[in-house]
Amino acid sequence: MFELQRQHPAAALANAFDIIRANFITILILIFVGSGGREANFTLYWIIGTFLFLLIWGVISWYRFEFSVEEGELRIEQGVLVRKKLYLTSDRIQVIDISAGVVQRLFGLVAVEVKTAGSSSKEAKISAITREKAERLKKILRKNSEKSDDSQEAEPVSQHKIYVLDTKDLLIAASTSGRFGVALSVVGVAFSQVEQLISEEQMIRFVETIIPRSTNASMIAMSIFAVIAIAWLFSFASTIIKYYDFVVEVRENELLISRGLFERTQLTIPFNRIQAVQIKEELLRQPLGYASLVIESAGYGESEGNSTTLFPLLAKPQIYNFINEVIPDYQTEISENSTVPSVGLRRYLFRMLWISLPVILIVWGSIPYGVYSWFLLIPALLLGYQQYSDAEIARGKDTLILTFRLLSKTTAMVKKYRMQSCQVQQNPFQKRLDLSNLTVHVASGNQGRAFTVRDIGITKAMDYRTWLSNGKENNNISDDESHEPLNENFDDPDATR
Amino acid sequence: MRSSPKSKLSHDAIKAWRVSLSIFILFLVLGLFFLWGYKLLSPEAGFFSMWTLIAITVILIVITGLGIFFIPEIRWRRWSYEVDEHEVDLQSGIFIITRTLVPIKRVQHVDTRQGPILRSYSLADVTISTAATTHRIPALNEEVADQVRDRISKFARLAEEDV
Repeated sequence: MFELQRQHPAAALANAFDIIRANFITILILIFVGSGGREANFTLYWIIGTFLFLLIWGVISWYRFEFSVEEGELRIEQGVLVRKKLYLTSDRIQVIDISAGVVQRLFGLVAVEVKTAGSSSKEAKISAITREKAERLKKILRKNSEKSDDSQEAEPVSQHKIYVLDTKDLLIAASTSGRFGVALSVVGVAFSQVEQLISEEQMIRFVETIIPRSTNASMIAMSIFAVIAIAWLFSFASTIIKYYDFVVEVRENELLISRGLFERTQLTIPFNRIQAVQIKEELLRQPLGYASLVIESAGYGESEGNSTTLFPLLAKPQIYNFINEVIPDYQTEISENSTVPSVGLRRYLFRMLWISLPVILIVWGSIPYGVYSWFLLIPALLLGYQQYSDAEIARGKDTLILTFRLLSKTTAMVKKYRMQSCQVQQNPFQKRLDLSNLTVHVASGNQGRAFTVRDIGITKAMDYRTWLSNGKENNNISDDESHEPLNENFDDPDATR
Repeated sequence: MRSSPKSKLSHDAIKAWRVSLSIFILFLVLGLFFLWGYKLLSPEAGFFSMWTLIAITVILIVITGLGIFFIPEIRWRRWSYEVDEHEVDLQSGIFIITRTLVPIKRVQHVDTRQGPILRSYSLADVTISTAATTHRIPALNEEVADQVRDRISKFARLAEEDV
């Protein structure tokens, strides 16, 4: 048992950094606003003052934070102004995450986060203790959660299958990351703000000294190129930081994922929490024959949907092997599939046309050489055609496989008994062509996630809908329940609310 | 689409929808009056030109006409639902027709809700929540709503839950 104790003093620092990180944007704004018009010294005092305050706050909250394990309960007492006592029974605990951020690693410590279904997990976080203590805590809390322990103890560690992302794959993943798009928009916006910081004359002088006799057109091309390059560097770095040393360990009834360069994150995902599996073939990766695997899981007690990358980069032929070995439940023989009928093609093309037209018109009207934006139509329509030919619904024994594309192609695999609800939608235009959209919802975090395939035949859609509803008992369900003692609490709506 | 679900909403739903929309539109009209008054009292100030105001007024009148006289009727005609021991089947939509299916096993909780307008027509909404989504059967007779709620919860209890 754990006697009543405080965390390692480094928790004070970790707390301070947590607050800074959580409010990073607010702080940035405060600094900018606070320094508006005044001399630079003032900003400096402002920053130092805030940091000191946070540090003191961190020390007090460290002092006021005590935890212990008694009678199989994790008991946490905390709170600077309001004293809070948090008692977590071990059989309610769904996930125990051990992670190490920058501060923790400086002192050779770890943070332990205990998550239960439903409740928000923020409070049950011990932000700095030694690794041995963390492991012991995990063991004790797991031990009390009934029989699951015996099997885990008995199982020799060497039996676990381990998958590691090697350096070459990490570099490929980083250079083809889908965050590129996000980074692109951020850098693009930042770039457009540059104008406001630097006066136009300065800008022109700067450009003229660097590239003498530049024309308008080459300048636009240059700046587009610069934005793209910077965005790519950002996405490259952030992917490396996130997926550095990515390891998936397959245990008897859970997956253990650990990753991260500065901040090591360890995620434990029980198999019975997996709600759906997605294969994502991102735009840049698809031509190279790579894809990534993402799983949706429930019961984390987080407000947003919960997607976790199961593996960031896999060569196409390896994917089905990987699924077979890591999540064998999702290995399915496709018994029937249906694609978009050819009358649906025009809907896909028109949709892309409607989306790209406003952009083209705005660009055409607003910047010099904007006429060339009409060339955007070509990739847009190609994308529409690609979306049309990728869209597909298939089913295996008890699995529905939905394939669709927005930019990157996604193949979502949903177990029949994991589906929360199913919708068939038809608008008047689709009605004329006997087409409809099929949407399947699965649980993910506290909210759900929806997968939609557009413009498939209405009879087919209704067919799948009926098939999904006939959720007659099958082996997998009973199988599932036999090794999920923790699940019972989650089932009962009263218990979680 | 294939055969629609059997049960219809209460016919009073149309009236209730009309009333609630009228109240909403009343607020918009008040806002509009304010703008008109502002415009007429000080024609030079104002952020709106006369034409914008006229356009807004016309749009509001058209929306009011459609919303009060046509939409509730169509909406009522399109809405139907069916509850059996395996699933809840819903059909709704004015332009876009949506057929929703919720397996009874997935239902986490059901409740009935009643605002002041619905209460005055003795109607109630039934809300069905799963782990991922929330669905609503609007404007049922109070007794029917209670029956539907109890039925769903009974079926849900009988069905083996697993998520």
